[in-house]
Amino acid sequence: MTTFEKIQSLIVDQLGKEEAEVQATTSFREDLEADSLDIFQIMNDIEDEFDVQLETDEGLSTVQDLVNYVEAQLNNK
Amino acid sequence: MKKSMICELLGIEYPIFQGAMAWVAEATLASSVSEAGGLGIIASGHAPKEFVHKQIQKAKQLTNKPFGVNIMLMSPHVEDIVDLVCEEKIKVITTGAGSPAKYMQKFKEAGIIVIPVVASVALARRMEKDGADAVVVEGMEGGGHIGKSTTMTLVPQVVDAVTIPVIAAGGIGDGRGVAAAMLLGAEAVQLGTRFLISKECTAHENYKQAVLKAKDIDTDVTGLLTGHPVRGLRNKLTRTYLKAEREEGGKAEPNWDRLEDLGNGALKRAVVDGDTQNSSMMSGQIAGMFKQENQTCSDIIQELMTGWEDQLNQSTLKWMER
Repeated sequence: MTTFEKIQSLIVDQLGKEEAEVQATTSFREDLEADSLDIFQIMNDIEDEFDVQLETDEGLSTVQDLVNYVEAQLNNK
Repeated sequence: MKKSMICELLGIEYPIFQGAMAWVAEATLASSVSEAGGLGIIASGHAPKEFVHKQIQKAKQLTNKPFGVNIMLMSPHVEDIVDLVCEEKIKVITTGAGSPAKYMQKFKEAGIIVIPVVASVALARRMEKDGADAVVVEGMEGGGHIGKSTTMTLVPQVVDAVTIPVIAAGGIGDGRGVAAAMLLGAEAVQLGTRFLISKECTAHENYKQAVLKAKDIDTDVTGLLTGHPVRGLRNKLTRTYLKAEREEGGKAEPNWDRLEDLGNGALKRAVVDGDTQNSSMMSGQIAGMFKQENQTCSDIIQELMTGWEDQLNQSTLKWMER
């Protein structure tokens, strides 16, 4: 499973969306209508899954932003 | 009664916080609660630095006891307020509307105790990891900006998930509520609406009377569709707002600005102008319980403490006796 697929799966689980609705260019707030509680939950889930630390204001707006950020963290480990 | 850890940490006598209500929780109310042995909190809301600075100065003149400042993280003046509380060496701050992580180092360097208000387990866990000293867990029974979960469900889940002290908020109005919150694992409680109707609170009398007249079912939640839910007493504005929400929510391209226009200045109209119809009279669901006007903050705190003790001595155990 790629980083994108794992993150996609976490988002699908949290927000009850279809996989097709969660693509690289998908925006958390505008497309997925995620509220702040959902976003904090997804961030925690990703930290647990990948054993990385996500800061709360990294300016991540799309799924691809998040994937890039997590991959950068993984590469620095 | 033995002092809880949070009382020791903050140097307060009773584990009672006064909720930070924008426009309502200014220096007079906050200092009265602190003088009475609880933790008064000045709400900075969207106010500029100069206004909050004056409130802090006034509170310092009115009490030598610890008081807090609440920082609304979505305020356009947030950076200024963060600097201000550090300059003024405020003992404790609470934060609302998100995560204060980016300011945490600054607060810690200034020796400030940081207590974020959270509405989910995930945010509570993040706050603990980021160095928060405690968290206020606020259920959706509360007034003003709220989350999705109830106090009854959220408090024990957060208590299980973090090791820092938990302060329960939302739906607490008397000693029974305090006892219940403590049994759920909280170390302290925070009340907003109860202090709004206190004698020392400077909110407009019309607003206070509306809270006193309210029944259990008299609050509405607006803003659910836009992701910023707010609980307040039902009036002409909440009805108009909810109708507009339904109409815009049904459109392919909603005009959410329409809702923003309705909400602009609405809280000030309640608190300052005493307008009870075209205003946002933020209030918790517990308002229906309150009938006694002009109680001092000291009387309220004493009643909460006595009521809590009575509950622990009596009703909790009576069903278990054989």
